[in-house]
Amino acid sequence: MDLQRTEHAFQEGLLGRSQDILRSVRGNARESAETMFGIYRHAYCARLVEALGNDLPGLKALMGDEAFDTMARAYVARHPSRHPSIRWAGRHLAEFLATETPYRDEPWFADMARFDWALAFAFDAADAPAAGLADLVGVPREFWGGIRLAFHPTLDVFRISTPVDDARPQLLEDAGVRPDRAARCERAIMAWRIGHDVKFRAVDMLEFSALQAMRDGAAFGELCELVAREVDLETAPLRAAQILQGWLEWGIVATVEHEGLGSAA
Amino acid sequence: MTEHAVRSLGFGLGLRPQHYPAILDGAPAVDWFEILSENYMVEGGRPLAKLMAIRERYPMVMHGVSLSIGSTDPLDMDYLARLKALAARVEPTIVSDHLCWTGVAGLNMHDLLPLPLTEEALAHVCARVDQVQSFLGREIALENASTYVTFANDAIPEWEFLAEIARRTGCRLLLDVNNVYVSAFNHDFRATDYIDAIPREAVAYIHLAGHEHNKTYIIDTHDHPVADGVWQLYAHAIRRFGAVATMIERDDKIPPLGELTAELAQARRVAADAPRQPAQVA
Repeated sequence: MDLQRTEHAFQEGLLGRSQDILRSVRGNARESAETMFGIYRHAYCARLVEALGNDLPGLKALMGDEAFDTMARAYVARHPSRHPSIRWAGRHLAEFLATETPYRDEPWFADMARFDWALAFAFDAADAPAAGLADLVGVPREFWGGIRLAFHPTLDVFRISTPVDDARPQLLEDAGVRPDRAARCERAIMAWRIGHDVKFRAVDMLEFSALQAMRDGAAFGELCELVAREVDLETAPLRAAQILQGWLEWGIVATVEHEGLGSAA
Repeated sequence: MTEHAVRSLGFGLGLRPQHYPAILDGAPAVDWFEILSENYMVEGGRPLAKLMAIRERYPMVMHGVSLSIGSTDPLDMDYLARLKALAARVEPTIVSDHLCWTGVAGLNMHDLLPLPLTEEALAHVCARVDQVQSFLGREIALENASTYVTFANDAIPEWEFLAEIARRTGCRLLLDVNNVYVSAFNHDFRATDYIDAIPREAVAYIHLAGHEHNKTYIIDTHDHPVADGVWQLYAHAIRRFGAVATMIERDDKIPPLGELTAELAQARRVAADAPRQPAQVA
């Protein structure tokens, strides 16, 4: 068998799809080829399951070790790793949990995976300085409507329907904690990094919509209109300003840009 | 080949995040650190910041696990570009990876998989080493991996396979003494035959690590202290290769830094005593 066919047969053996490779490999004087090849086969799954557990500790604590192991093996079978770094092996896990039976029937799982992944992403995403409130000071009032924001490269924002943000810290303290899986919520999570510290914050759906709009390039004036559709016209500018102020105080904005003067950060 | 700077680095450790504070707050008795390249192929954050802070104080070697030099898939040029960028940042004394393959058909098994030791595989690996060294603009070192199976069509002993790669491509060898010990037990050959067949000048540096002995086979786990038999084989290697830079790898059940520096002190003693002692390895 040539090198290419040997490697493909070996990999098929690791994935449990074929045992043809056993005709081409040898064990030793004490153990069969099957036993010795089994070392590789066992290590393949074990290594990926361990990596997923390390990268998604909230999900592992929520599911429990045994259920997590079963789920992770099913995931690895469906989504074998394609990235040189094992760190990225779990990038499809939230989607897997949201769409695959039986996991899709428990929305806590996909939400927690999404949450874990956002925190892991923020940990080593690109460095960038954060803008602050001082970056708004020099913006003349007439240009406020045209303010646009570039968000911090570590920022991730996503909706959740279960209160995984409340449960995760307790689960990481004590995996024996059993959150009320009947609990539901309607909010979003922002995860990002300041310096070396990963942060997260829950926001309501109005702020989530505002954030989505400005991430898509909307100006502050459009944000005010969006807010005005949800609250009364008189308080809309104040609410919009509060939202903007919060983002700047939390450090999720990289630069503040406005028409006429260019970037203020 | 000329004497490479890496050979005189002294005694090093694998850099692990658990030890960042102890390294940065103290001055551990470590001459250099080896980093796992893939762990630092990230955009930013704490890993890169700590890496560069430690790099300011210590020489470094970059050691990867995903080059997949033996794969019949095309070389991953995106990976190589990231490796080259990291090397430009870290300025390592040398860049190393393994004689193995890690996947085909676009998949990554995240393991150091064995190659059939054939003329075809030898030519394939040599061509890819040439390609990698040309792209990176520097020579690399290839490590012998622990293996658990051999192939029915093996035609070349692994030590000759490695030596021939070094001869044809000019690449260096990262001799993992523990891996020689593990593979020798698993495949019933004499570990000293392996060491004795490796060209002296090709060895860039040496790895030491622990393993798990299961009576009928040994698994290269990197989660134990270096075994007695590996220390003896290391002494044999030092007698053959001279004072070659040496480091200890620990990837699981990672102890406090002090335990590893104590083990490194043992490596210093074994290396210092080796030339005065007769061969003791079976």
